[in-house]
Amino acid sequence: MQPQILVLKEGTDQSQGKPQLISNINACQLVVDAVRTTLGPRGMDKLIVDHGGKAVISNDGATIMKLLDIVHPAAKTLVDIAKSQDAEVGDGTTSVVILAGELLKRLKPFVEDGVHPRIIIRALRTVSRLAIERIQELAVKIESQSPEEQKELLRKCAATAMSSKLIHQQKDHFSKIVVDAVLSLDAPLLPLDMIGIKKVSGGALEDSFLVSGVAFKKTFSYAGFEMQPKSYNDCKIALLNIELELKAERDNAQIRLDNVREYQKVVDAEWQILYEKLAALHESGANVVLSMLPIGDVATQYFADRDMFCAGRVVAEDLRRTQRACGGAVLSSVRDMKPESLGRCAQFTERQVGGERYNIFTGCPAAKACTVVLRGGAEQFLEETERSLHDAIMIVRRTIKNDAVVAGGGAIDMEISKRLRDHSRGVAGKEQLLVAAAARAFEAIPRQLADNAGLDATGLLNKLRQRHHAGDVWFGIDIQKEDIADNYVNCVWEPAVVKINAVTAACEAATQILSVDETIKNVKGEAPPQMPGRGMGRPRMG
Amino acid sequence: MALHVPKAPGVPQMLKDGARMLSGIEEAVYSNINACKQFAKSVRSAYGPNGMNKMIINHIEKQFVTSDAGTIIRELDVEHPAAKLMVLASQMQDSEVGDGTNFVIVLSGSLLEAAEELLRLGVTPSEIAEGYEQALDKCLEWLPELVCHEIKDYKNVEAVVAGIRSSIMSKQYGNEDFIARLVAKACIAILPEKTTFNVDNVRICKILGAGLQQSEVLSGMVFKREVEGDITSVTKAKVAVYSCPVDITQTETKGTVLIKTADELLNFSRGEESLLEKQIKEIADAGIKVVVAGAKFGDMALHFLNKYGLMAVRLNSKFDLRRLAKTVNATVLPRLTTPTADEQGYCDTVKVDEVGDTRVVVFSMETSESRISTVVIRGSTDNYMDDIERAIDDGVNTFKAISRDGRFLPGAGATEIELAQKLLQYADTLPGLEQYAVRKFAVALESIPRALADNSGANATEVINNIYKAHKDGKKTYGYDIESDSGDACDAKEKGVLDAYLLKSWGIKYAVGAATTILKVNQIIMAKRAGGPKPKAAPGSDDES
Repeated sequence: MQPQILVLKEGTDQSQGKPQLISNINACQLVVDAVRTTLGPRGMDKLIVDHGGKAVISNDGATIMKLLDIVHPAAKTLVDIAKSQDAEVGDGTTSVVILAGELLKRLKPFVEDGVHPRIIIRALRTVSRLAIERIQELAVKIESQSPEEQKELLRKCAATAMSSKLIHQQKDHFSKIVVDAVLSLDAPLLPLDMIGIKKVSGGALEDSFLVSGVAFKKTFSYAGFEMQPKSYNDCKIALLNIELELKAERDNAQIRLDNVREYQKVVDAEWQILYEKLAALHESGANVVLSMLPIGDVATQYFADRDMFCAGRVVAEDLRRTQRACGGAVLSSVRDMKPESLGRCAQFTERQVGGERYNIFTGCPAAKACTVVLRGGAEQFLEETERSLHDAIMIVRRTIKNDAVVAGGGAIDMEISKRLRDHSRGVAGKEQLLVAAAARAFEAIPRQLADNAGLDATGLLNKLRQRHHAGDVWFGIDIQKEDIADNYVNCVWEPAVVKINAVTAACEAATQILSVDETIKNVKGEAPPQMPGRGMGRPRMG
Repeated sequence: MALHVPKAPGVPQMLKDGARMLSGIEEAVYSNINACKQFAKSVRSAYGPNGMNKMIINHIEKQFVTSDAGTIIRELDVEHPAAKLMVLASQMQDSEVGDGTNFVIVLSGSLLEAAEELLRLGVTPSEIAEGYEQALDKCLEWLPELVCHEIKDYKNVEAVVAGIRSSIMSKQYGNEDFIARLVAKACIAILPEKTTFNVDNVRICKILGAGLQQSEVLSGMVFKREVEGDITSVTKAKVAVYSCPVDITQTETKGTVLIKTADELLNFSRGEESLLEKQIKEIADAGIKVVVAGAKFGDMALHFLNKYGLMAVRLNSKFDLRRLAKTVNATVLPRLTTPTADEQGYCDTVKVDEVGDTRVVVFSMETSESRISTVVIRGSTDNYMDDIERAIDDGVNTFKAISRDGRFLPGAGATEIELAQKLLQYADTLPGLEQYAVRKFAVALESIPRALADNSGANATEVINNIYKAHKDGKKTYGYDIESDSGDACDAKEKGVLDAYLLKSWGIKYAVGAATTILKVNQIIMAKRAGGPKPKAAPGSDDES
């Protein structure tokens, strides 16, 4: 019998060495190619049909990467960095993927030539450090300015973020909405979930509006709803987490009676419990009653009789937003309601928006929440708009938190590239070539911008290099004029933190992919096979 | 016709069908050695600062990118019985010292490789094993003499950083100073006065986004959760910790409430509500500002908590709850009672923060000393953060080793070469056949600097010669210089490449243990795999004879 040397489990896939490393890089390249055309204002959108048959149109790198459902272990790293960029700054997801891919592409020849990956990795770490230093040097701080100026700055950042999206035609309109929305939030934390985004199909994009308060779709209502007034000025709002309906007091309660008279009393008592709740609400002076749980027809009619408005089954998020905007508290009990536990707002209306009716609360005193109502054509279009707004909102939030900006449109990338090239000339040894290669990689962003816009990338890059050499740090691609221009003057701004994070993430991903020389894939944990005869019950030997 | 004498059945015939038996030097020993060699080769390229990472996808499709041998072998699912012995030795090292797992495998692999040559020359396995053990005894005897550095004050950040740097260097080369500082800060912050240091008290919280340089150490705990109620930030808070749900008390036994009259029905829920309100009011009156529970917060309870301005945090893990109780110095209460002054915890700030786009609840202690510290790791991919987590883990374990024994040996292969040199001299004094084994032991020790050099792309033989030369000149702390391209030797002590004494001594012990055990096996009998589903715990019930 031939001794079998089988160290690992059967079926385990093991591949190693330099070819493995190169194949990993190639896999990443393919992924990058899939998203590279989406970069920039003239980037094209992708239509992705997922496994459920749902079509998604998107320009957002992170969304595309997520939907691509990549299984290749190395390429997955790119998906991860796109996600990381999305989580940390919310925008720039495409550029981070392109940058990582380009770094790998430029460094691949060195791997093929036999440079030890560890040396490349060390060079990459230097690159990342230098690039970040350069960004921090150049970043323009715009602190302690008057609110108007700050607002203007934020709008420029939001506009840059949106210029690459589907809604770039309406970016002035939306950047205003986005900045107003973010500025209305709680100052230090700026909780994202306090900005509600509601989509109503129909109408034009310009019909989208911001409610500095809360808006949500009219909930399911019972008979009697029609009689309720639909608009109040200066109203009080009760926010409840109570079911206003006849219901069992307790799941595990049982009523055992021994005479008929008592039966009627018990029935009356149940009604009484409900009426007590309703009366308490009425007495509290609330005009509008919102509840997360259903409000039954008895309650609806009761409120209608007393000129009150009610809405049941309000989504918890909306209710929380209402609470933030209008003050008060979400009550789980109507007993001893205090005036301060009621929310207040200047105006409440129910309004027709497209085919839906919306409950809108405005003029809220606390105003720590707001809602953007999006209008537009197709459903996919609205969804993409929502994603674009999300990106823009994230950008504005980041800018408020760290208010330093750099010029976009490839300007900062060219400048980093120049810095690296200058540095490389002073390094002795292999690192010189590696840093120079990385410097070329950073040019990928302006190149791609130009390519996507159908411009002559090589010509423009040459012009840019010359400009940057002359010390014009803010020169980048100007898509409108099909030329290069000072993008700082042109107000193509993005927060420095976006670029810093992109450089960090791209370099980390590249180092990680370069550091792997072996992939070991275990067999999938298979489902237990059906038992064949079990092998039991045979007589024992001997 | 000759008389047909039935052949006496051999052992294989006596076993059940399908059972396999390998015996003798040819079949068993060589095959074992071969398997171990192969296995060692696979992890060897991950050794040292310049070691490459492995990408492993385990049976549940989870992806790992690491050069940590402990993780690699854990996820590899090794089948061969002899290779498994090496895995066990390495795991033992992991639990004893927490670092140096790869060292064990590389060393025992090359010990076996060396033994194979001797076997071919005709030395018996038991003689080799004996020689190895003699050499081991000698090594352990000499090791204390080689100590070149000692950390006495392990509360000093700088001293500790120097100690754990090289352990982290092998995982995250280039970031070692930064990570070592994080680890040192985290460990020293929670170093207890009397009892021993517990590795579990350094927590790690990984949050996607930003980069490694944004990682930080917090004294206190960080949870990736949100608060339940409306209050998001309190300072100088008394904390009550409950393991039960904060809700209307429910009976364990399924019971039915029996209502007899209408009045009872009317007062039923009112009574329940006011009872709960009373409980929560009492808690609030006791000065508590934060309520932490290991289970659900009821809607009604939350209503009252908000009403009395208490912050509510829910933790799902029992262990987290216990750790938090430790951090804030509270007693975990099993019932919703008002905690006494002793049972209350205290925390400087409890607040909700946003890191990246992840909301976290931070319990941080500023003035008072915390017993738990958390390292918040930032990174761009999950795999990357996992790898940093393992590096930090190694660092923390090294710190533990330092707190037990602050002695250090020179790293970068200096110790191994010094031992090898001494062993070669010692071998000449031995009369018996074991001198061959001792000599081979010395050669096997060379495999450590050899692996370092190989992984860095340098010429290994030249490197080893250089180091030998330095040692001949009495420069006992000279080892391989990773940063040089030509493979020069350098002073490991000066460069700050230090290995903990415990790590080396246990590592050598386990490696030799595994190698001799494998050598002493001369027969392998593998029972036929039983059909049907595999046993749940350990798949493969191979007998190692």
